[in-house]
Amino acid sequence: MPDRPVRRRAELVLSLGVLALGIAAAVVAWRLPEAGGDARIGPNFMPRIVAGGLIVMGLWLLAEVATGGWREPVNDDAAARGEHAFDLRAFAWVSAGLFAQMALIRHAGFVIAAMALFGCVSRGFGSTRPLRDAALGALLGLAVYLFFVKFLNVSLPPGWLAPLLGGAGL
Amino acid sequence: VTETLAALAAGFGVALAPINLLWGFVGVTLGTAIGVLPGVGPALTVAMLLPLTNRLDPTGALIMFAGIYYGAMYGGSTTTILLNTPGESASIATALEGNKMAKRGRAGPALATAAIGSFVAGTIATVLLTLLAPVVVEVALKFGPAEYFALMVFAFVTVAAVLGASTVRGLSMLFLGLLFGLVGIDDQTGQMRFAFGIPELMDGIDVVVLAVGLFAVGEALYVAAYQSRMREELERVSGSLWMSREDWRRSWPAWLRATAIGFPFGTIPAGGAEIPTFLSYAMEKKLSKHPHEFGHGAIEGVAGPEAANNASSTGVLVPLLTLGIPTSATAAILLAAFQSYGLQPGPLLFQTQSSLVWGLIASMYVGNALLLILNLPLIGVWVQVLKIPRAPLYAGILLFATLGAYSLHQSVVDLVTLYAFGVLGFVMRRWGFPVAPAVIGLILGPLAESQFRRALAISQGDPSVFITHPISAALFLLTAIVLLGPLVARAVRRRRGG
Repeated sequence: MPDRPVRRRAELVLSLGVLALGIAAAVVAWRLPEAGGDARIGPNFMPRIVAGGLIVMGLWLLAEVATGGWREPVNDDAAARGEHAFDLRAFAWVSAGLFAQMALIRHAGFVIAAMALFGCVSRGFGSTRPLRDAALGALLGLAVYLFFVKFLNVSLPPGWLAPLLGGAGL
Repeated sequence: VTETLAALAAGFGVALAPINLLWGFVGVTLGTAIGVLPGVGPALTVAMLLPLTNRLDPTGALIMFAGIYYGAMYGGSTTTILLNTPGESASIATALEGNKMAKRGRAGPALATAAIGSFVAGTIATVLLTLLAPVVVEVALKFGPAEYFALMVFAFVTVAAVLGASTVRGLSMLFLGLLFGLVGIDDQTGQMRFAFGIPELMDGIDVVVLAVGLFAVGEALYVAAYQSRMREELERVSGSLWMSREDWRRSWPAWLRATAIGFPFGTIPAGGAEIPTFLSYAMEKKLSKHPHEFGHGAIEGVAGPEAANNASSTGVLVPLLTLGIPTSATAAILLAAFQSYGLQPGPLLFQTQSSLVWGLIASMYVGNALLLILNLPLIGVWVQVLKIPRAPLYAGILLFATLGAYSLHQSVVDLVTLYAFGVLGFVMRRWGFPVAPAVIGLILGPLAESQFRRALAISQGDPSVFITHPISAALFLLTAIVLLGPLVARAVRRRRGG
């Protein structure tokens, strides 16, 4: 059974978000200087138009909320979309993988960050074999690392594996 | 015409050079493999590869990107037919009949008519592109900044307001994309805008981070949250791949009709292939001698939409190459690819980089033929690709997505931004905000701003240039009709309905 109050609240929050973004942009835009140099239209012109556009859209969305909800909404019934209900654990595992990678990539290096990312994301998608996933991630990360660093000359951080990766003579 | 043929012949010289042929081959193979993967489209693929191909020669890289562009469409139809999860709105029409055919054990002919139809439509559309491009270039050379600005506004409005379910949500995303496009140094005055003193923001928001965040991270979060526990049913490819005489007889008129619908729709800024595929489906259903088969696996219902999809995707390249105007998210990424080499698509590119442009066009003939050769014999390989479970598939997608974003500046800030755009993409998908206007706004916004300022600088600040130049005035009128027409029609209908 689709949950009307949840939908209404989400629509309200998102509409207010668009409006708030427009107002924030307007505040910044009105502090920008007028025409500088030879250009007749200054760097503050487009920002004002865009801020105004966002404010109008925010108000329009709010008007739709006030008059019975957004028009042409996405179906709230997950089953009707061929999906299951929102799975917070899956969402959190995927996010955790990305955070782990952010935390690790600098110091621990690309390969270890890839291992953590791969393990967490696989877990989020329902895999129950963390060791195998981590090993797969490390292997893929290593292959990618060698290919990009040695072949494409894209620099990636070796991190803790620097002695190993540097010493391989590649 | 003879000039065009000479240019095209020179283009074939470029496209058939062994190294470019290799890049084209890599592109179509990669494109097909990636297009087969559910959840990965051509826009994402090109965006992920963009930071990694900086050091390649532009001709080779762009030939590869073009190969990915239409390779991914071939791959996408395989997924649609065998898995019934249309990856993009343009594949929904194919899914209607294609998956039904596969369920009835006719996956082979369905895949064959999609592949051969795509080849026929793609080749005819490329011929039309070859003939049309020089004509548009002729006209476009007369365009001034006012005309360009009007054209860009028209493209913004059609992509944002007309396509998609909701005008207001489309326009919201357009303005959001335009706002992202404003971040960084204003290149005309050196003024810093919306950067808040953060060094990573001074160069502006990179299209790679935005597109990969919205498409890859957003998609992964969405699928994890709403689909990871769903089972997928993959149809088997059994029996002959070949189409019977009857299949051929029913397919070829559909291919040709669909090409005639698809190509023009691609060339106008009506963003993508959704409308022409459905038009083609409806037309085939109406003209068919076997209307009762529709809904149960009618081959015309696969042949038409697939051909329309391919023809319109080729048509999209007309405004992109000749005017520098992208009308779909993928075209916007391709424009970014040109820009990363310091090239600006448009009429001047046909003059200054003639061998690159015509090499690219010639490579499309070659690529379509390559795809036909690759696609059907290798169907077994693509089916194996389809069998990759979701967990390693999405973990791998995210690994490559983050790799692309990180290698831009070797900066963790880009990874944080990437995740933020991923969450944005998740919210947009869940609550029905379209992605294309945001991407197009980011890429095209700065170009539109500079055309706008140039137009006013030339007219010495007189804003009437936009309505006194006839082409510009006509485009603004058209924009107003497109934007307000549906609203007025709805209001009238409501009044009549009481």
